[in-house]
Amino acid sequence: MSYTELTVWTRGIIMDKEGRDIVNSISASARIEGKYAQAMENYVDNPDRTNCPTRKYCRVSDQVLENELTYENEHPNIVVLVEGTMVKGWDYMRGMPPGGTLVINTHYTPDYMIRFVPGAERLAQLVCVDAAKIADHKWLYYRLGELGLDRLSTEGAAERNKSIAPDIAAPLIAAVVQTTGIVKMKTIEPMIANKHAFQVALNELHIMPLNPVAV
Amino acid sequence: MAMLAEQKKRTVRINGCVASAQAAKYADVDVIAAYPIRPYTATMMALAQMVANGELDAEYIVADSEHSQLSIAHGAASSGARVFTGSSGVGVQFAYELYSPISGSRMPVQMMIADRTLDPPGDFGSEHTDALSTRDMGWIMGWSCDAQEAFDNHLIAYRIGEDPRVLLPQMVCQDGFFVSHITGDVELPDTGQVNEFLPPYKHPYPLDPRHPVSHGPQIMPEQGPPLQLERARAMEESMAVIEQAHDEFAKIFGRRYDPWVEEFMTDDAEVVFFLQGAHAVTARFAIQHMRDRGLKVGMARLRTIRPYPTDRVKEVLSKFKVVGVIETNMGLGSVSSGGSLYAEVCAALYESQKRPLVLSFMAGMGGEAIVLKEFYWMTEKMLDAQRRGKIEKRTHWVGFEE
Repeated sequence: MSYTELTVWTRGIIMDKEGRDIVNSISASARIEGKYAQAMENYVDNPDRTNCPTRKYCRVSDQVLENELTYENEHPNIVVLVEGTMVKGWDYMRGMPPGGTLVINTHYTPDYMIRFVPGAERLAQLVCVDAAKIADHKWLYYRLGELGLDRLSTEGAAERNKSIAPDIAAPLIAAVVQTTGIVKMKTIEPMIANKHAFQVALNELHIMPLNPVAV
Repeated sequence: MAMLAEQKKRTVRINGCVASAQAAKYADVDVIAAYPIRPYTATMMALAQMVANGELDAEYIVADSEHSQLSIAHGAASSGARVFTGSSGVGVQFAYELYSPISGSRMPVQMMIADRTLDPPGDFGSEHTDALSTRDMGWIMGWSCDAQEAFDNHLIAYRIGEDPRVLLPQMVCQDGFFVSHITGDVELPDTGQVNEFLPPYKHPYPLDPRHPVSHGPQIMPEQGPPLQLERARAMEESMAVIEQAHDEFAKIFGRRYDPWVEEFMTDDAEVVFFLQGAHAVTARFAIQHMRDRGLKVGMARLRTIRPYPTDRVKEVLSKFKVVGVIETNMGLGSVSSGGSLYAEVCAALYESQKRPLVLSFMAGMGGEAIVLKEFYWMTEKMLDAQRRGKIEKRTHWVGFEE
């Protein structure tokens, strides 16, 4: 049985859409590929927590998800930090089994970032991608209107802009899919709004190989 | 009254909250009374967008509290409007005063409830106590276990409540998070199917200055008994209408629900779970795994608790050796010192010639997910009772005992 948990850490409200786009597009792609998949937000994080760390989850399996009603991913195989400073904040690696992948949106290199990662021995790879630069991301607050974000609440995932990954989610999705193969590139790419950023990212991933788990 | 734009049947992936909003849209409601509280808020957010986008022509009224929300619903329904409202947890409680007047004036208001644990503690998780505490107020009440069923139950409930033989309000309940925030495939129907199933709402005696009528006047004590009897009869007589509505729904939409009790792997079962709502989803997986190990376990899920299908519950549960009631509600100091569902089960079984042993399980409290191994643990307790032929302990708090 193949079962993968993906946990995305993002910043409440201002970057919620980025996080949602990652889990929603990967879950939708997995379902297109005939797998069982689920995407959801952390239930307790969900209310109005501007800038606070919030979690988005994705579960992909070749068998029916019997844990569909459990609130949190207990053993994330893949963790994404949508905003780089979160690397120092808390134990986002908690529960990760050996052989995991950590993807960070940062302009720093993996060599620099690894020192802040708790329990890095569980990682098979650390992936850094300068998603904000690749997506030509000016400054989040100025672009809220453009992104179509609902500034008032995360409840109900109410984007006015229905396009998936018009912004920094695109390079991050590219990084996750390229380095983990959780879904096929050709399935997910058509869903991505910012195709340019998605493509550029594929050639600008900084991957640090760490401790692979023998299969 | 503007009609809903024609839509073709399609399957979408939405959560329970949005499924409820979609159902209200398909029911072409006239008035929506909103006030936010987690977790049902997303339903009202979705409806607000539909109204703003012109997808739904309805009066969207934001109240200043749940009490006002239900008062608006009551008034709007009295004027002949099809009304949709909703709430969660303590919000359901704050509107309590209105439940009896609404059913007493026979207004088929519909209320969506996404359960939330009552305070304390301040908790978003699902316990059924919020809605269940209003269960004797004359509202038709039942639980859905996934987003599709939630969508369907809203349409079915309008059809039942607005039937001239019934005219009662309905609480269409779903577990917070487990249904409200979990996405599932939901088939949205063809508008033609909805039009066929749910005729436009017409109250026989709406408030109308051209045809003056009195609603809810002061009465003398001697007028009380007949009024109360009428409401009791309406509840009783709704049972036939509920069955008809489910039959009709199956014919038109192709999804058949037992109106009262869903039985799962009960054919040769000796011990069964009795529960309401979303934990049935995990229960089904647990039962399948235990069946693989040769255990004769099954599930009976109550779909409608008001009106309570006493005879049906008796008939179904009398087949088994042990029944384990999963409460998901607080009945402090109640018959079982646990939840309130136990008493309803035992009362139904009292007249049975073959009474099973009944255990009460306090599980999923505060909205905690009931996981597979807890279903295995509860099954062991039921099998243990079966072996001994008696109950050692009436109520078990799952997670606090060996």
